[in-house]
Amino acid sequence: MGGKKPDTSGPLLHARKVGITPVEINKRKLIIELAGVSKFYRSKSSFFKEQRDAIIALDKISLKIFEGEIFGLVGESGSGKTTTGRLIVKLEEPNEGKIYLGENEITGLRGKPLKDFRLKVQMTFQDPYQSLNPQISIYDTIAEPLIIHRLGNAAKQQAKVREAMTSVKLSPPDDFFYRFPHQLSGGQRQRVAIARAMVLKPRFVVADEPTSMLDASISAQIFNILLEIRQKYNMTLLFISHSLAAARYLCDRIAVIYRGTLVETGPAEEIIQNPKHPYTQALIDALPKFARHEGAIRYDTLLRPQRQDSAYDCCCPFFNCCKIRDPWKCGREKPHMEKIGEAHEVACFFLKEQKN
Amino acid sequence: MSLLEVENLSIGYQTRKGFLKAVEGVSFTLEKGKSLGFVGESGCGKTTIGMALMGLLPNNAMIVEGRILFEGEDLVKMSDDQMRRIRGKKIAMIFQAAMNALNPVLRVDDQIAEAVLAHDPDCSNEDAKKQVASLYDLVGIPRERMGDYPHQYSGGMKQRAIIAMALSCRPALIIADEPTTALDVIVQDQILKEIKNLQKKFNISIIFISHDISIVADVCHDIGVMYAGQLVEYGKREEVFDSPIHPYTHALLASYPTLTGERETLKSIQGETPNLIHPPDACRFCERCSRSGTTCGIETPVWAEKSRTHRVLCCMPERSA
Repeated sequence: MGGKKPDTSGPLLHARKVGITPVEINKRKLIIELAGVSKFYRSKSSFFKEQRDAIIALDKISLKIFEGEIFGLVGESGSGKTTTGRLIVKLEEPNEGKIYLGENEITGLRGKPLKDFRLKVQMTFQDPYQSLNPQISIYDTIAEPLIIHRLGNAAKQQAKVREAMTSVKLSPPDDFFYRFPHQLSGGQRQRVAIARAMVLKPRFVVADEPTSMLDASISAQIFNILLEIRQKYNMTLLFISHSLAAARYLCDRIAVIYRGTLVETGPAEEIIQNPKHPYTQALIDALPKFARHEGAIRYDTLLRPQRQDSAYDCCCPFFNCCKIRDPWKCGREKPHMEKIGEAHEVACFFLKEQKN
Repeated sequence: MSLLEVENLSIGYQTRKGFLKAVEGVSFTLEKGKSLGFVGESGCGKTTIGMALMGLLPNNAMIVEGRILFEGEDLVKMSDDQMRRIRGKKIAMIFQAAMNALNPVLRVDDQIAEAVLAHDPDCSNEDAKKQVASLYDLVGIPRERMGDYPHQYSGGMKQRAIIAMALSCRPALIIADEPTTALDVIVQDQILKEIKNLQKKFNISIIFISHDISIVADVCHDIGVMYAGQLVEYGKREEVFDSPIHPYTHALLASYPTLTGERETLKSIQGETPNLIHPPDACRFCERCSRSGTTCGIETPVWAEKSRTHRVLCCMPERSA
């Protein structure tokens, strides 16, 4: 490992070819920006039950996603990664902060502008066994967005559906037109879900754990389809996952999220090879290593695996599980994101010590 | 004598469309204190093998041929009553999706105590509870959570409770069917470590069933790669992962994203698994195989031994070596 720069010449993989270096990123067009976004969930109070404290799903998150990149959001379950995705596609409204698509603020959109927004931003969901309507044929499922947005006549719509299906490798498309979800395998269903999101040629797609319900061997196929689609349509993707290995393969940049707070963002390879935040390091430790990868470094930064909900507001979110914590510093103050490289930001007090 | 010897096991399901051969001609042995992992795509028959070992096959399933010798006795020939005494006591199972494996209306400690009491009628309730408490220490759940209901547990804790239940009678063999599929990477890592520690401590044999090759690589001594109901490669972990022979094993390894080394393009396996109601006579992987030769579609593959422990079911093993 170490600081070896990834090779960018020779017989290149398609993943690398379109990879973005940090310098380029600043020149690119901003497509999605989250500025200090927070989201709370409150339990309903009733006559017999007192209202409990709000659950903070996202705590002042700020991030920028640039045109043409695949941005990975990695974290454990309950860390707020799906909430982030749902906020971006406006399935939920943030309690605080603003979200921008390009120049335009999208928080609070309604009516016609909201419908136009949905033309540009789409989402695919985690579980393909639940996200497809079992009573609607594959053709109708994929054509539905076109019908809702009144795009083209029937013949044009069919051509578009066919193109979307070909791009997700459901071929020949005509064989699948009149099938129903129960006749498809999990991988095929997920590809239908991707085709449904792609058929409008949106500018931005949120892919929420597209492979967590699928076999490892089928995941590779989905990853490659996403990469191809990005290249073909110059689409921007937010890839939500709990696996750093998958994010490394797919993403240009990765953000690591823990209990509703971003703890580290940076170029994918940099995050994997040179992680700075103890939580990112713990995530890398936790991935099962193959026998042939015994050379990998162990960071050993995890104090205890169980999350504990105490002193949430005032301390570092990772405080309770961190091995390198300093009770006088980390326990009293929340660290902010600090720039440590070209595009690498970390929220941890111990960066200065680590640098030396 | 090995703890478990499975010889030429074939299992089928009676379905509306015909007789589905879910497992065909699977043989393996497992020594005491060792662990064996089965990897393969969904529908390749890994869970069916686990269920057959537990004697929990559904009514429409039939063991067509073969023997399952556990401590020298054939489980296939056993009556339901005999099987019930072994199940849980000597062979225990950690089920897929721990979230649904616990009864939501019973307290967790009562459920584990039930497993203890079922196999030891002389045990008093208090003793059973004491045993449960020590099991909680063992799997690392705080004792004060004993009286909770399953919904109060997190996913990882439920999985630990299931492991405690499987350990309650100190079985000789544990079958772990996708024990970490629904869990996060960090929790998964903890559970796998826990299982490894307990295995060493009590010298238990474990059969690990997973579609995730990295988990199996992490935990198991021996590995069996399954495809479409057949075992296609079997050997020690190092042999299978460092010098895989079968093209399917190669394909599985190539489709898994890694953290170290160059970022290589993942190769997905094209095509679909064959229909197991009318499986092809020849090699079942032939249609999806990247290096199938002219004879692969006609010949029935036979086992080729590469070493004393490493064998592969392929028509042309020398080609891929």
